[in-house]
Amino acid sequence: MIELRSADNHPAWCPGCGNFPILAAVDEALDAVKVDRRKLVLVSGIGQAAKLPHYTRANVFNGLHGRAIPAATGIKLANTELEVVIVSGDGDMYGEGGNHLIHAMRRNIGITAFVHNNQVYGLTKGQASPTSDPGFTTPVQIHGTKSAALNPLAMAIAANCSFVARSFSGAKEHLVATMSAAIEHRGFALVDILQPCFSFNHVNTFKWYRDRVRPIGDYHDTRNREAAMRLAMKWGDEIPIGIIYESERKPYEKTQEVLASGTLVDQYRRLEAVW
Amino acid sequence: MADLTIRIAGEAGQGLVSIGEVLARSFVESGLHIFSGQSYMSRIRGGLNWVDIRIGDTELYSLREHADLLVALSEPAIHCLVPTLATDARIIRNCHKTDSSPEVVCFDFAKVAASAGGNKRMINSVAAGAIFAILDLDLDNLISQIRTKYRHKSIGAGEMNVSCANAGFDQIKEKGITIEAPRRSAGRRGTLVSGASATALSAAAAGVKFVASYPMSPSTATFTHLAKLSDENGVLIEQAEDEIAAINMVCGASYAGVTSMTTTSGGGFALMGEGISLAGMMELPVLVLLAQRPGPATGLPTRTAQEDLNLAVHAGHGEFPKAVFAPGDQRQCYNLMRHAVFTSNKYQIPVILLTDQYLQDAMKDIDPLDTHYEPIDRFITEDADDMYRRYHSTPDGISPRAIPGGEGPVVCDSDEHDEAGHLNEDLRIRIEQQQKRMRKEYGLVDQAVEPEVFGPADAENVIVCWGSSYGPVKETVKILNLDGRSAAMLHFSQVWPLNIENILGKLESYKRIIVAEGNYTGQFASLLRRAGCTRHLERLNRYDGLPLTADFVIRGAKI
Repeated sequence: MIELRSADNHPAWCPGCGNFPILAAVDEALDAVKVDRRKLVLVSGIGQAAKLPHYTRANVFNGLHGRAIPAATGIKLANTELEVVIVSGDGDMYGEGGNHLIHAMRRNIGITAFVHNNQVYGLTKGQASPTSDPGFTTPVQIHGTKSAALNPLAMAIAANCSFVARSFSGAKEHLVATMSAAIEHRGFALVDILQPCFSFNHVNTFKWYRDRVRPIGDYHDTRNREAAMRLAMKWGDEIPIGIIYESERKPYEKTQEVLASGTLVDQYRRLEAVW
Repeated sequence: MADLTIRIAGEAGQGLVSIGEVLARSFVESGLHIFSGQSYMSRIRGGLNWVDIRIGDTELYSLREHADLLVALSEPAIHCLVPTLATDARIIRNCHKTDSSPEVVCFDFAKVAASAGGNKRMINSVAAGAIFAILDLDLDNLISQIRTKYRHKSIGAGEMNVSCANAGFDQIKEKGITIEAPRRSAGRRGTLVSGASATALSAAAAGVKFVASYPMSPSTATFTHLAKLSDENGVLIEQAEDEIAAINMVCGASYAGVTSMTTTSGGGFALMGEGISLAGMMELPVLVLLAQRPGPATGLPTRTAQEDLNLAVHAGHGEFPKAVFAPGDQRQCYNLMRHAVFTSNKYQIPVILLTDQYLQDAMKDIDPLDTHYEPIDRFITEDADDMYRRYHSTPDGISPRAIPGGEGPVVCDSDEHDEAGHLNEDLRIRIEQQQKRMRKEYGLVDQAVEPEVFGPADAENVIVCWGSSYGPVKETVKILNLDGRSAAMLHFSQVWPLNIENILGKLESYKRIIVAEGNYTGQFASLLRRAGCTRHLERLNRYDGLPLTADFVIRGAKI
């Protein structure tokens, strides 16, 4: 593995933020599955989580709020030899970019998405996120959130996402293993990562998550979509973490006729070689 | 200049567009020059649509308002379009009556089709045969084009259409009615292209390899044409879930090193604004084909306008350099698309190509295009190493561009960033990076495409225009000068940024300056004033959804 120059800027996160262990886990997982960092592109949108790509060694596309997925899709289709990993938050991926998530899962484009889910908006200082539980009060939702919380995993299974998993920032080993499996999966992989926000979410705290998360046992058949859906619906006193669903679907880039002879970027190289 | 305009009108679903194309090709095969356009409603069946085909013995630049021959496939076509005809026009009418006169020939197209072994869906071929008869043209040229058109269908369908064309031809021949067609030049066979096909052919030949779009009239024609070219040219076509996805996909593919493009129209382009700004900040070469139609909002989806100039020039929040080109005709569509690819790759900026429904659909015979595959340089450095800085400050503002996959990390951020591309809030770095980006505009102004002057050097009046108004204004100038009136044209195919010193020099000698454009507020006139033009600019605006025509400009310019 060849290392690129390490970014010298320091994380802009609050002390104790769940993003720190996630950053460490991303690095460990990438190393564990031996990703060549020169061929790695970390893509993000906007939010506290979306700053993560700046704090590790990779090519970086830190794009617009909610638009990590289409940018990552363009990158992957342009050069299928790149390892494309999205690291962004719940507001970015489930709120502003929700439509793109649905369609990326339909396509089964070969990218991995790590969604830091702290059930609150951090960068804009504490408003409700799509995954905030009803009743969650904020400076905007002063009488509590009225909408139902989005269930990203059930939505992903419904959209035929080919890899659906959940982990927790406080379960390092579990997180690294889940991330590694997601990176190695061919096709679109979604990992929802539960994470406390010490500054703005005083309900879903570290302890709150730690007391509820339960690693999924060996009994679960990850290829069984109905069983996966039942597992994905669980939320409350017990929150299952682990790989919930996976299937063998041809990645989108493998279905493209014009890519049969090589990547788009290589098309120019072949021509230049002729010159 | 002998020419005549044929107007074929009927309902949506009667095959007007396909027979219009077959006829256009047949006329070109017959040695005529043509210019054709479409006028249609936003519906798939019914309503009133028409195709205009103008044929001439010399090169044609635009459509005329008055038709010399109306072929009416439906009743509303007669009621609505008779007022649009020239005084000595002829009509071929599809109706149950058979009481023909030299001016109006009536027969039942469906009955004729049926007796020829066809069906009522083939009345368009009956009409085409009738047109060839009344113009006294060689029917073989039409028949071979019908066979080409139906070559992928069952053999029966093609031959039934041929029989219908023959039957339509005979209906007119029996009555012995003719119109004198323009003189034909043997041996002259131009290539028939529309604005939409010219932009698509050009993009594919210039090395555009990734196209992500959301369908929207009238841009879809280019998107569809690119799809047709995609297998042969290795272009990946992606129908995005929305325009926001399309522009962000294009930004991603461009970052990864592929010349990338999106096609859209006003409403879709409005959604792309943030993505255009992203391309400005990340310094990504990004191409947008923006085919205009009348707004606001959904407006008139199938009509034409030049209303999105301001939108294009001001697209995206914040300040960053961009270029906006507006081809005047089919050949300029081809050449300027190539130039747009070059400009965006060289300067690493978003570039917008402005067309409109009129130009997208307008077909013309032109000298064959040089469409061989020759990708434009992407200006990519292979020298990036561990210390590579994507936004290294240079005198011309253009930083060496590396792409991910090599030795150097390629870091791009939509936040303000340092030279390495990392998010940075040091305000001194902000100033440096903003100045670096904006320095690219000097090069763009310096290299701006010269506006084209047409007409006598000593003309007293000038009609300033941009984009697709080129042909109609060029024709206006020809007609006025033949009539002893003094007029020239100044046409802009680069509408942003403007090289104002150059423009002021070109305008100096004229007494009257009339800015003719397809919008209400005079957007280009305002742009000239803003750039520093203090001359009095008279305005001539059309905003009824139809293109400028020589008739319209002559009436309005009062030269």
